[in-house]
Amino acid sequence: MTQATTAIPHAEALARLASGATPTLRKSGLSRELLLERYHPDHAPAAAATLQIGANAGERCHPTLAELLQANALIDGFDLAGAEQLSTDVLVIGGGGAGAAAALTAASHGADVIMACKLRLGDSNTVMAEGGIQAALGRDDSPQRHFEDTLRGGHYRADPLLVAQLASDAPDAIRWLIELGMHFDVTDAATDGGTLRYKQAGGCTQPRILSYRDYTGLEMMRVLRETVELDPAIRLLNRCPAVELLSHDDGSCAGAVLFDLEYQRFVVVSARSVILATGGCGRLHLQGFPTSNHYGATADGLVLAYRLGAKLRDLDSFQYHPTGIAFPSRLAGGLISEAARSCGAWLINGLGERFIDELAPRDVVTAAILRECADGRGIERDGRIGVFLDTPRLARQWPEGIEHHLPALAHLAAKCGIDPATEPMLVYPTLHYQNGGVVIDGEGRSTVPGLLCAGEVSGGIHGRNRLMGNALLDIIAFGRRAGQRAAEDIGKRPLRRGDIEHVYSWQRTLVQSGLPRQARAPRLYPGPGHYPLHRNERSLA
Amino acid sequence: MSNTLRISIDGKEKEAQAGDSILQAHLKGDETVTANIGCMGQGVCGACRCLVRKEGERETATRLACETLAEEGMQVSFMDYYQPARVSRYGLEDIRDGWEWMKHLRDVFPEASNCRHCSGCDRACPKGITVQEGIALASRGELQAAAEVFDACIMCNLCTLACPENIRPNHVGLFLRRAHAAQTLRPGDLLRRLDQQRRGELAIDLSAVPTAQGERA
Amino acid sequence: MDKLNQVLLKPAIQVGADLFAWMQQGGTQGLATALDAPQTLIQRIADADLRGMGGAGFPTARKWEAAAQAAGSEKYVVCNGNEDEPGTFKDRTLLSRTPHQVIEGALIAALAIRACHVIFYLNPHQQGSLREMRRAVAQWQDSPWLEKVAKAVGQPVDLQVVPSSGRYIGGEETAVVASLEGGFPFPRKKPPFPAESGVRGCPTLINNTETLAKVSHIIRHGADWYRALGVGAASGTKLYSLSGDVMAPGLYELPMGTSLHDLIYRYGGGMLEGKAFKAVFTGGPSNTLLTRKDLDVALDFDSVRERQSRLGTGAMIVISEGSSIIRKVAEYIGFFAKGSCGQCPSCKCGTFQLARLLERVDSGRHSPADLAALRHLCQILPGSGRCGLIDGAVTVVQSSLHTFPQEYGIAATAD
Ligand SMILES: Cc1cc2nc3c(=O)[nH]c(=O)nc-3n(C[C@H](O)[C@H](O)[C@H](O)COP(=O)(O)OP(=O)(O)OC[C@H]3O[C@@H](n4cnc5c(N)ncnc54)[C@H](O)[C@@H]3O)c2cc1C
Ligand SMILES: Cc1cc2nc3c(=O)[nH]c(=O)nc-3n(C[C@H](O)[C@H](O)[C@H](O)COP(=O)(O)O)c2cc1C
Ligand code: SF4
Ligand code: SF4
Ligand code: FES
Repeated sequence: MTQATTAIPHAEALARLASGATPTLRKSGLSRELLLERYHPDHAPAAAATLQIGANAGERCHPTLAELLQANALIDGFDLAGAEQLSTDVLVIGGGGAGAAAALTAASHGADVIMACKLRLGDSNTVMAEGGIQAALGRDDSPQRHFEDTLRGGHYRADPLLVAQLASDAPDAIRWLIELGMHFDVTDAATDGGTLRYKQAGGCTQPRILSYRDYTGLEMMRVLRETVELDPAIRLLNRCPAVELLSHDDGSCAGAVLFDLEYQRFVVVSARSVILATGGCGRLHLQGFPTSNHYGATADGLVLAYRLGAKLRDLDSFQYHPTGIAFPSRLAGGLISEAARSCGAWLINGLGERFIDELAPRDVVTAAILRECADGRGIERDGRIGVFLDTPRLARQWPEGIEHHLPALAHLAAKCGIDPATEPMLVYPTLHYQNGGVVIDGEGRSTVPGLLCAGEVSGGIHGRNRLMGNALLDIIAFGRRAGQRAAEDIGKRPLRRGDIEHVYSWQRTLVQSGLPRQARAPRLYPGPGHYPLHRNERSLA
Repeated sequence: MSNTLRISIDGKEKEAQAGDSILQAHLKGDETVTANIGCMGQGVCGACRCLVRKEGERETATRLACETLAEEGMQVSFMDYYQPARVSRYGLEDIRDGWEWMKHLRDVFPEASNCRHCSGCDRACPKGITVQEGIALASRGELQAAAEVFDACIMCNLCTLACPENIRPNHVGLFLRRAHAAQTLRPGDLLRRLDQQRRGELAIDLSAVPTAQGERA
Repeated sequence: MDKLNQVLLKPAIQVGADLFAWMQQGGTQGLATALDAPQTLIQRIADADLRGMGGAGFPTARKWEAAAQAAGSEKYVVCNGNEDEPGTFKDRTLLSRTPHQVIEGALIAALAIRACHVIFYLNPHQQGSLREMRRAVAQWQDSPWLEKVAKAVGQPVDLQVVPSSGRYIGGEETAVVASLEGGFPFPRKKPPFPAESGVRGCPTLINNTETLAKVSHIIRHGADWYRALGVGAASGTKLYSLSGDVMAPGLYELPMGTSLHDLIYRYGGGMLEGKAFKAVFTGGPSNTLLTRKDLDVALDFDSVRERQSRLGTGAMIVISEGSSIIRKVAEYIGFFAKGSCGQCPSCKCGTFQLARLLERVDSGRHSPADLAALRHLCQILPGSGRCGLIDGAVTVVQSSLHTFPQEYGIAATAD
């Protein structure tokens, strides 16, 4: 984390805030472009590297990610020898929302499905989502507006075809979720017609976020998990991370190698199609940033797909959510949803000033906070630096607001040991979302035949910045598309045992390009070392 | 006073800082953690189930490690994810008829009427949900009220593990919640939009792709 | 073999529910003696050093004294015949073959504490016990004896046969109380102990069936006679339920303090053909394992305790070399997990996690961390429940870890 050498002590900043003077909005003095360029983490010198091998050779990539993408495999040929053999039509890797949607859809289209989860089905970023999911349903709204907002939000770098599908799939995605038994908040039938309730999101021209209280992801994931667990066509393998993909001679995908943690052995799954839905990479803690992501977000899918030859994109673009918790350290990186700012909470620096329009795009607000901290106007508490989210002012203006409309914020504050009505929370940007990922077409197909992708692991839908609520939509919309495509391909794709020939050729490339062969990936789990997959690496003490 | 405290987790002594959660203390050390972890503090995934005994206390309680602060002398054992060997599968399409919900509930969860009111589920629930009451409401036919009891349930399955009658209370709750949404949630705006799309309206005009230039102009 | 079946299982007294036949064998003489001097009964039981045969070996006289001293005119005597754990099959034998010996003992207990209700709390899965006890009780109700006891107690005395829930947990004494009050057999917090406040708040003396069966003989023949039956310092006889890998499994009444070796090799016919002795799970099976070096142990409460184990109900489940201790332990943990009543999540969840870890060890796929976790669970679970179920479960696991470390793939710990 780029921490300032100087900052204003918490007590001092608190006293200033409590003095009651109305904070003024300081003039920025920098254009948004300049602000981003100078302060957004994506633009930092430490964020730039160039890939040397693979389908994206010569392109820009975050160095931490580049290291993993250009690493050696975790396994070797002899690991496959004694492994358990399974086969299936469709193998889904990753147990978040995208994986569940893909598995259910493939199964409902007649495919036999195996679903492999690194942790347990549902322990994912999806279950953590609070804010909601976008769908243009309002009278004054339209898929077209949703499409345009998304493109603009992504700085016009998204694939328009994918965005168009995203926006037009949205209503049916919501219907599908309701059919599985997911609830959404509705307006009062008597006064407002009993429609779904819309919330405003930054960067949107219409309020279009649908939600269930402020645990939309939990509601979505528990319904999806139950449905998957009850589906006889899906065989669920918990605690079985994918450690490598399998390939056919023609370079197409033939399945994957899993490691079964419970039985401590490799499992080889031959599949006609593989759907990668492994989510993001927040736990790589790029540039030392804290993260809002779950424990398993370690970019495994990108690594596996890249080694098999898949093209990736926007590997230098990440979303840093402006308001992560800075204090206490126990919860550092935890997300304070945009809802607080939508409701009018201000951001205040150590001098008691506002310094940015709180509802500007996320990347801009993030850059502005980092600027305050870099320039010594941040606030320090027990070694943690950030700025204030001024909830006390919000509480004064709107006495019941926090408790009734922001229960998750109230809950979170309580966990921080803070009464949000009287004390502001200390916030600092947190690594939140991987904007780029595997290049896909409209049906989730990567550039490698037989390998499909859905969810955060894929790229191109959000360009270089994602709007709130579009990720939950993307995982359902494209999870379903990929699931259907894979099921429809059953007749076209062979079910033959694959091999890891691509790993050998990758290793040759490593040697030729002078890259180290000791570095191994995927990471699988954050932490100090690699999980020992081989018996001789395990300590017996 | 030192801020460092000792806590023992699954037989390993860990040093933690005052204010650390049990989960954070657990992560200190060289071993890679591969289970009982997910959202890491948000308390929504239910992966970090554990038994916790505080120093000098007899009681050993079920808790979420990411939401419980480490205390000096605490002893913690993590618990595997429990899935009963037999569960009756159901599809929401099988329970379309709302007049038959009591019967469907009985068919899928025949044990629900056997509640012996031991309160084990209530004590086990790390989220303070009144599980037993939910089951009582369900058995009485007050299905919506029962569903609401489980509104904030994170499906950690601790109540299912704790229940001596194999009732699987949280799954009863989810069954009711799902049935309710699937059968009754028919928002007018969504119906209208789907209908418009079905009639071919509102197709996206890709040629109207906005450009950065266009916007900024 | 002369020491076999001298008192409770004496062939001559196996007369079933026939009260007249029982009297012909000397039955009711103990009760008659007791009626002559009811106030001396507790002392005589104390002199005989009678212990509770339900598992704990608690001095019976002390319990009687507490119930006698407790305030209240309405008191209960409950004969605990719930017997439901693996390997124990003694009470059902007494109840179905010699019901009168049990009833007579219970009436003497009622005399001693001046109880007006005598309840036989029986496991409904043992139909023979229920049937014979019902028949036997009916005969006492028609006999003059009840009247005599009532006179001595100072109020009418009733006898009832009440089926228990048939659940294992229903045998725990506070669960007995809860069950007799018409509820689910949930154990309760102690104190108060049932002797002070039991069924509907009345002082309630709860004794195991075997304990009560011995009473009439002690009163009839005297404390000295009873004490002399035992080996060394131990007093009386004991019913041993012998099972497992032995030639002649069965129920043996032997002098209290008979050695484990004699029980297995002299009376039990030795080990099953070609098998070598490995270990014994003693009655519960919720106690520490006995091993080859314990073959010489005298099977009485105090001697077994000196080996850090417990005599328990006197059940001896013999395991031979070649059988997996861990598998057996896992089986018993499964039994306890199923029997756990649900009130205490630590018991239900703790037994689940114990079982999971044992399963991993048994299949050889465990890591050192799993063993550390198993040991740790054994530390945090004891005492966390309302009753002793979880403690017993932990004891077996801990004992197997201690006694058979090699099966867990760990080096032996120093004693
Ligand atoms: C705190 C938070 C709040 C958010 N709020 C919102 C919101 O309000 N609205 C919105 O639209 N979006 C939100 N997002 C973003 C959104 O939740 C995610 O982008 C989206 O859920 C990703 O879904 P997914 O299925 O692609 O990945 P995930 O849900 O992360 O699932 C990926 C799964 O794959 C598993 N996995 C990883 N590697 C492997 C491997 N090698 N083998 C097997 N399995 C593997 C992971 O453990 C995980 O279970 C939020 C994200 C976070 C973290
Ligand atoms: C879980 C559990 C189950 C028990 N089951 C029985 C039983 O079935 N029969 C019995 O006599 N005692 C059983 N006991 C012991 C009783 O609690 C009680 O100590 C006994 O009945 C007292 O009789 P005694 O003093 O004559 O041994 C059990 C104890 C526990 C903890
Ligand atoms: S109700 Fe059950 S599953 Fe839900 S949070 Fe409570 S214990 Fe966990
Ligand atoms: S744990 Fe089961 S039996 Fe006990 S109160 Fe809860 S639902 Fe009823
Ligand atoms: S880690 Fe998700 S609830 Fe604790």
